[in-house]
Amino acid sequence: MKVLAIAYEVKDAGELAKAVKEFNGEADILAVSRAAEQVNEVARYSKRVYRLASKSPYAIYKALENLVERGGYQLLIAEGYRNLRDALSRLAGSLDLPMITDAYTIRILDGEKVLVERGFLSERAKMKVEVPLPAIVLFIPRFTEPLEPGEEGEVIELAPTEGPEKVLDVKPKAMGDVNLEEADIIVGVGRGFKAKEDLHLAFELAELLGGQVGCTRPIAADLKWLSEDRWIGISGKRVAPKLYIAIGISGSPQHMSGVQNAKIIVAINKDKSAPIFKQADYGVVADLYQFVPILIQKLKEKKAKG
Amino acid sequence: MSVIAVLVKASLNPDMVRAEPDGSIDVSAIPLKISDIDRNAIEEAVRLKQRLGWKLVTVSVVTWGPVSARMKDVRLAVQESLAKGSDEAIVVADDALTPGDQTLTAKAIKAALERSGIKPQLILAGEATIDEVTSQVPGRLAALLGYSYVSFARKLEVEDGKVIAERDLEDYVEVVEAPLPAVVSVTQEINEPRPPTLLQIRRASRKPIKTFGLRELGDIGKPSRKLLEIKAIQARRKQVIIEGETLEEIAEKLIEALAKEGILQL
Repeated sequence: MKVLAIAYEVKDAGELAKAVKEFNGEADILAVSRAAEQVNEVARYSKRVYRLASKSPYAIYKALENLVERGGYQLLIAEGYRNLRDALSRLAGSLDLPMITDAYTIRILDGEKVLVERGFLSERAKMKVEVPLPAIVLFIPRFTEPLEPGEEGEVIELAPTEGPEKVLDVKPKAMGDVNLEEADIIVGVGRGFKAKEDLHLAFELAELLGGQVGCTRPIAADLKWLSEDRWIGISGKRVAPKLYIAIGISGSPQHMSGVQNAKIIVAINKDKSAPIFKQADYGVVADLYQFVPILIQKLKEKKAKG
Repeated sequence: MSVIAVLVKASLNPDMVRAEPDGSIDVSAIPLKISDIDRNAIEEAVRLKQRLGWKLVTVSVVTWGPVSARMKDVRLAVQESLAKGSDEAIVVADDALTPGDQTLTAKAIKAALERSGIKPQLILAGEATIDEVTSQVPGRLAALLGYSYVSFARKLEVEDGKVIAERDLEDYVEVVEAPLPAVVSVTQEINEPRPPTLLQIRRASRKPIKTFGLRELGDIGKPSRKLLEIKAIQARRKQVIIEGETLEEIAEKLIEALAKEGILQL
């Protein structure tokens, strides 16, 4: 079965190659966006890599349409970046293919069908679905550990097609130097914090743990206390840290869908009926203003003792 | 007259999920409600309708059956859009289309528009719906109709036969221009949806809702996606509340628990 993996970031190549290896397949790779900029690294995961130096959804869509028609690929896989959701949903419409998003496991049945587990109901449930091949599957970010890189494969350059949508301007988002997708520990802050100055508690805790600070929608979008690259949720980022400490966060589905792949979730909230406690591994019912300083103090003591 | 269409979905309400003791979930027992982000699409559509003087049509496909048990919730979702300013609604409801998949939903929307003789210049949708969060129906529809597509818009203007929008991407914002006809999916940042007034709600009941079944739409295929199992993942979390006499004790216990999980190396 011919598989085509689409890498948007360089790291996608190793992760997608791992998924393909698990069902004993072999994949060609289409490298786009930042993965195209560092195509030599991507090429260490496949014998054949197509390079499309573009992140335009239309260009990606048209390149894929062409590759699928000529290359006979049965399965297309990628991670669910917004430009890829855009490009692949158009491809799915144009080639009449089933498309499954937010997948975390994949199996191929008899070379004819694909069985996927995916998040559902704002990540309160999981759904097992089966669709016939050919099909498109988009995974959640960091759904698996990357494969070890091998020999560099052949790189074939593709020319981007211009579409009806023209880019007039690109504005970088106000960014700190955070990369929540890569963080092992994230301290999340929500409306339980009463003032922007109080967020220093979260930053202190995060620094102590070697982690990063993330937040809910109101903190970034409405109050603008933190930059948007820290915003976790449906419209923000989807993260997969080993530890997520949610402080003063009630646990709305929009936010929780962004952290469902955290290994362990800790919730600190003074309202014992907050929905977050049902979605956390460890809960502390306490006023964050009292509890977090104590937690910081205790962690410092342990650290000092080594 | 130019037409704007807005897509509205009666989605499974994630806040009303009840799992059986074995974790299984009976989807037919979960009530439907309008998908939150559709409210932003409606708000934006009404704003544009008022500015441009175009007609606004709501389109909705029933994806969770059985239709007979779901129509009340579906009507409520559709009526909300009518109350806020949509002029009429088209609803596709047929048990053969449930549980729907995105392939078929997009085809059903296209067929229903064609059957109604409506060629929208602009189609607005939420960036995703709250139950499945796939973000794929607008893109599919754009490809099926041959429209331009602008996804994840957090700002939108329409002028001189084109849309100008700000697309909200992971680490940057892109200003794009695309010719009409176009499909645009919007994020929750685009506006602050206003609830309808009582008068608007009363008037909405007089606005027309056309319902189509498969017989009227012709052959658009069958769902190809099989739902094999739906299980709650809440049980996946341990849900341990750490208790103690003092906050110091709780903090110590928490640190201990995290050390045992192997995630805190101090």
